[in-house]
Amino acid sequence: MTTLDGLPTAERRSLGARLLSANTFWIALVLLALIVVFSAIAPESFLTFFNFQQLFIETAVLLVIAVGMTFVIITGGIDLSVGSVLIFAGMISAKTMEWMSPGQDASNAGWGVITAGLVVAIAGGSLWGLINGLLVARANIPPLIVTLGTLGAALGVASLLNDGTNVRTVPLELRDSLGFGTLEGNIPNLVVVAVVITVIFGLVLHTTRFGRYTFAIGSNPEAARRAGIGVTRHLTNVYLLTGFLAGIAGFMSLAYFQSTTISGHTTDNLNAIAGVVMGGTSLFGGIGTILGTVIGVFIPAVLQKGFNIIGVQPYWQMIAVGAVLVAAVWFDQQRRRSQNKR
Amino acid sequence: MLVLATGALVAGCGGQIGQNNDTPAQTGGATPANKNLDLVVGVKNEPFYISMQCGAEAAAKEAGYTITTQAPDKFDPTLQAPIVTALGAKKPAALLIAPTDDKTMAPQMKQIKDMGVKVIEVDTALQDTGIAVSSISSDNAQGGRLAAQTMAKLTSGKTGSVLVLDTKAGTSTTAARAKGFEEELKNSAPNLKSIGIQFTENEPSVAAQKVTAAISSTPDLVGVFATNLNTGEGAATGLRSAGKVGQVQLVGFDASPSEVEGLRAGAFQALIAQDPGMIGRTGVQQAIAAVEGKSVQRNISAPLVALTKEDMDKKAEFFYKTKC
Amino acid sequence: MTPVLQAQNIVKHYGSVEALRGASFEVGQGEVVALIGDNGAGKSTLVKCLSGAEIPDSGTILLDGQPVTLDSPVTARRLGIETVYQDLAVAPDLDPAANLFLGREIRRKGLLGKFGVLDKAEMRRRAADEFTRLGVTLQSIDVPIGALSGGQRQSVAVARSVVWASKVVFMDEPTAALGVVQREKVLDVIKRVRDEGMAVVLISHNMPEVLSVSDRVEVLRLGRRVARFTAAEASLEDLVGAMTGALTQEDAA
Repeated sequence: MTTLDGLPTAERRSLGARLLSANTFWIALVLLALIVVFSAIAPESFLTFFNFQQLFIETAVLLVIAVGMTFVIITGGIDLSVGSVLIFAGMISAKTMEWMSPGQDASNAGWGVITAGLVVAIAGGSLWGLINGLLVARANIPPLIVTLGTLGAALGVASLLNDGTNVRTVPLELRDSLGFGTLEGNIPNLVVVAVVITVIFGLVLHTTRFGRYTFAIGSNPEAARRAGIGVTRHLTNVYLLTGFLAGIAGFMSLAYFQSTTISGHTTDNLNAIAGVVMGGTSLFGGIGTILGTVIGVFIPAVLQKGFNIIGVQPYWQMIAVGAVLVAAVWFDQQRRRSQNKR
Repeated sequence: MLVLATGALVAGCGGQIGQNNDTPAQTGGATPANKNLDLVVGVKNEPFYISMQCGAEAAAKEAGYTITTQAPDKFDPTLQAPIVTALGAKKPAALLIAPTDDKTMAPQMKQIKDMGVKVIEVDTALQDTGIAVSSISSDNAQGGRLAAQTMAKLTSGKTGSVLVLDTKAGTSTTAARAKGFEEELKNSAPNLKSIGIQFTENEPSVAAQKVTAAISSTPDLVGVFATNLNTGEGAATGLRSAGKVGQVQLVGFDASPSEVEGLRAGAFQALIAQDPGMIGRTGVQQAIAAVEGKSVQRNISAPLVALTKEDMDKKAEFFYKTKC
Repeated sequence: MTPVLQAQNIVKHYGSVEALRGASFEVGQGEVVALIGDNGAGKSTLVKCLSGAEIPDSGTILLDGQPVTLDSPVTARRLGIETVYQDLAVAPDLDPAANLFLGREIRRKGLLGKFGVLDKAEMRRRAADEFTRLGVTLQSIDVPIGALSGGQRQSVAVARSVVWASKVVFMDEPTAALGVVQREKVLDVIKRVRDEGMAVVLISHNMPEVLSVSDRVEVLRLGRRVARFTAAEASLEDLVGAMTGALTQEDAA
């Protein structure tokens, strides 16, 4: 202790030291290793522009959800409802666009109708987020239970809206722009949207007061309360944000699949949680990064893609993805434990 | 051959709801006091089951029977079993049911049967064949074979690989479709080679991902057979994302409204449609025959039909309904 | 001289339990007053009432001679009253600077600040200055506070209250969990703060510590003030006697 206390006050560690101790550094190495291995095995089919383009497209929707999930998990909470909220947002958006179109056929709807659809999707997602937030923060019901409830409820309401079936028509203009359009001919718009959202909310988490309070509440809610932070209000806003992002993701999914995929997205919540946790965010709250989440979301995606391309049997894929998930988190915990023992 | 023959026959009755040219109940005989039938389908709000319900209700009405339809919220035996158990108090003359599990649902169905209720299986069936008096289902393997024949026609002699997308490992209906497809492909399209069956967890996103991965790893991919709605929609998305719509032939299964729309728009090149209306109608006919003590056919195979963009409007009666 | 903070006849019930039965207390500028008493004497409740965490049922609280209503810790803090809690109210995953500025973050100037963007460099710089001023030594300013030793953590917690207090700092058992060296460091901080003119209220069970660091001692028993001492003139026996009821002063209540 004396030697430590003898050091000059308030020194910053070197960039290298901070990098090596960062959770994201090691998990990034895992991702890099996976890419290298698959590229070595199947250079002509894995290491292609097309393949990575598809990889990014297919991960875009999940990434947007996982960004919201990162905030919730940093507060020490969880949101199981994201997949259902996504479907709800897509459904109410698609229904709105059909209602606004002649003959309930939204195939040829223009930008006015599509914009209305976007607004409705975001509002719908945010509404469920707000419900989650109020129940968690004000009514003090554990988030696991609240979001388990809204997981069912949101899907139920979505099913009611169209008698439990997918909507028939989705605007072609939406499909060709957000769903499959590209920027500069190469960068898919879906990916652009996901990247912009990730960067914005990465900055919000790591540079703003909103982000700082998110960490503080997850780290010690009592301390945050005593420091004068409106914990109830902030928690509500965090769940609202997650719902908002699930709403955007719902609209993206609608554009991409041209379907409300009402029986799909059942494991989005678990996939998002897995990605967030693999990226080094602590389920106990207080710790986490958006960069980690990005890497964490891509690890299972790259694994799946790689296995498919090199032709590993589907049963083995399930086993391997599960094993890598658990191993990555175990490895991270071991490393952290040894770090805390010093 | 058989397909064509039965297909034509079914097309004949499917298009004429309200007529009763082949309803045995009309011929009279001992009229039972209990004219209540119950239909328990696999899951709520599924166009397939709604179409089945429409067929069953029409047939029951013609015969002067009443039919009540119930459905669990999910395709899940733990939700379906209580519905069946509750029927014990009501004791309908016959129960038409699409069991959601081929083993788990057996005790509840046996209980009902032991009360004297005639049990008819529609769409799905139990492993225990001693409970139901009749089973009407689509021949999924035949549907798979039909898909392979359609794929052969669509690719018109080209050489290349095809991908088969199944739902979850262990789903018997879609597995039969996939297996039928793979077997028949060898016969009708020897120059097409299956690169194997992939599981999609019944998630459109996974299906899309499997398709784009196959495009990466298999440059000569010419066709995809998707064994149900979700895999079909996901496969269509994957093909569009890769810019291969129309180049890689996509054969889907079932004819839900969104799939029909997809066929019209060119996302699917063909759909293999079941005939749920006919299953429901036949189920009711068999139920009434059993109740009235007439002869019953133990196993009835409902035909499937291939829809392509060219002939879809002529076969509109095969589109699944969202309401009767 | 008017006391900075004065409490008169504070009464507080929790259901049928009477925690404070007309307790009085006062602390002046530039002095350390120890508030002592046996367990259940009402120390914590009185501190809570004076720091805004609890609202008394009756009684008057005067700040600089003016009656005030402390309806929340936020109000108390706005009036210049800070509290260091016994159970370390810090966020262990945040670094010392973030903890020091928790709830009072400095934002960037201009448009970015409007969006809530923090000026982390400025906060780090000012935190380093404050830690130096208060004699708090940390091996690094950018590790999570949870990775620091207990004494360093407590020093940060004390520093946080002291930096933001303009009038009174309450310290509830600030040295309870600390080793000898760390305890001396925290006591040094307390003395520095007092020398800068702050009113410091120390709640402690450690009588030698109370006598060494405080200027005056006020004793609570059964929800009332029963004795007041000038630390330099009091003995350990006096304090213990007052706490147990063996010794009473008529004018104390």
